[in-house]
Amino acid sequence: MPSFDGKKAAELHRHLHSHLPSDPALRVKALESLLVEKGLTTSETIDSWVEAYSDEIGPKRGAKIVARAWVDDGFRDRLLANATEAITEFGFEGRATAHLKAVANTVDTHNLIVCTLCSCYPFSILGVAPNWYKTAAYRSRAVRDPRGVLAEFGVDIAPDTKVNVWDSTAELRYMVVPERPKGTDGWTEEELAAIVTRNSMIGTERDLGTGGDS
Amino acid sequence: MDSVHDLGGKQGFGPIDVNEPDEPFHAEWEGRAWGITCSTRAPNVPIDWWRFVRENSVPTDYLSRPYFDSWIETDMITMIEAGVCTIDELATGKSATEPLASAKPMTTEECVNLTKSAFRRFDVEVSSSPTFSVGDAVVANLTATSGHTRLPAYVRGKPGIIHSHHGAHFFPDDCAKGKERAEHLYTVAFASKDLWPEASESPDMVYLDLWESYLGER
Repeated sequence: MPSFDGKKAAELHRHLHSHLPSDPALRVKALESLLVEKGLTTSETIDSWVEAYSDEIGPKRGAKIVARAWVDDGFRDRLLANATEAITEFGFEGRATAHLKAVANTVDTHNLIVCTLCSCYPFSILGVAPNWYKTAAYRSRAVRDPRGVLAEFGVDIAPDTKVNVWDSTAELRYMVVPERPKGTDGWTEEELAAIVTRNSMIGTERDLGTGGDS
Repeated sequence: MDSVHDLGGKQGFGPIDVNEPDEPFHAEWEGRAWGITCSTRAPNVPIDWWRFVRENSVPTDYLSRPYFDSWIETDMITMIEAGVCTIDELATGKSATEPLASAKPMTTEECVNLTKSAFRRFDVEVSSSPTFSVGDAVVANLTATSGHTRLPAYVRGKPGIIHSHHGAHFFPDDCAKGKERAEHLYTVAFASKDLWPEASESPDMVYLDLWESYLGER
């Protein structure tokens, strides 16, 4: 049973800090050996989880959602009204998307997602969060200096463009719907999905390239 | 808890590695850590207690260790408390007991399906009516519990506007203590100019999802 005692948890952290090897690779290797020996998981299962989140579960899913929102106004409306329900049209519902909210960029609004308290992220549609999303640098600065953060990512926001920062402090999870770039009229949903980047769905990219001059 | 995890608005943290490769795992151990955390969790660990365990990390470790590493250490503590393993076993990687189970290998497809079935709602029906309505002027509490809370320091005492209401969601401050209770949850809009002295001319907004007892009328 959990102790529900923060002091006890802190003490265990200190013990682990002093008893385990300092290299994370060694700590994780020992943990895997132990859990496999105890029959709680298998190395093949761990391989499968890596595989699942390296390919199938990742930002390609989010990109498909965005592309459909660009070509299908009805879907766009459903997505912005209730993203949790809308993504079931793809079968992408799952871990950390039971309270999903999609926020759309416009000509004069830009959206940026962060979790200042931990690293909440909509796993089942965007996969594993990038490391930078989980760093103190991003988490501390996204709410205080979003324009400075965006500039580091090469995104310049006009002074009269409003930035909305969404800090995922509860179990709601957020995704940004970027604007459809010009010059993509007549493109298929698949072609459009191919230009939607992970960062554009977090909000650290704004103007998507069309594969030509960018 | 006012620990180093509450990072919003803290200053002095350096540039972001914007050129990080796109691959989800940058070292083999990161993938192994992810697979372990997906496949092996101690039983009956509420997410809010798990987060509170992580917030109780050695502060310098919290800020300096890679995220997957910190995540795994939190899993280890929940496993120790559940009696799954000991610190000595974690240090050696050798089990001192007979096997506790006989897990079968899972395929990638099974992992994908399990991710889908991990869908879990956090909202519940409650008999109370919400105190606030969309558009109401509110102020976030000036203080918070020394236990787990999801009221970040940077909005405490600051004025905001109710942007939307989400029904009642499990209340993390209580769930982290093993007491399951729900409260009305709102998205609250804060103007950057009300949060940061250097943002007095800014049109920007910061939205947080906050529970009813974190808020007062204004």
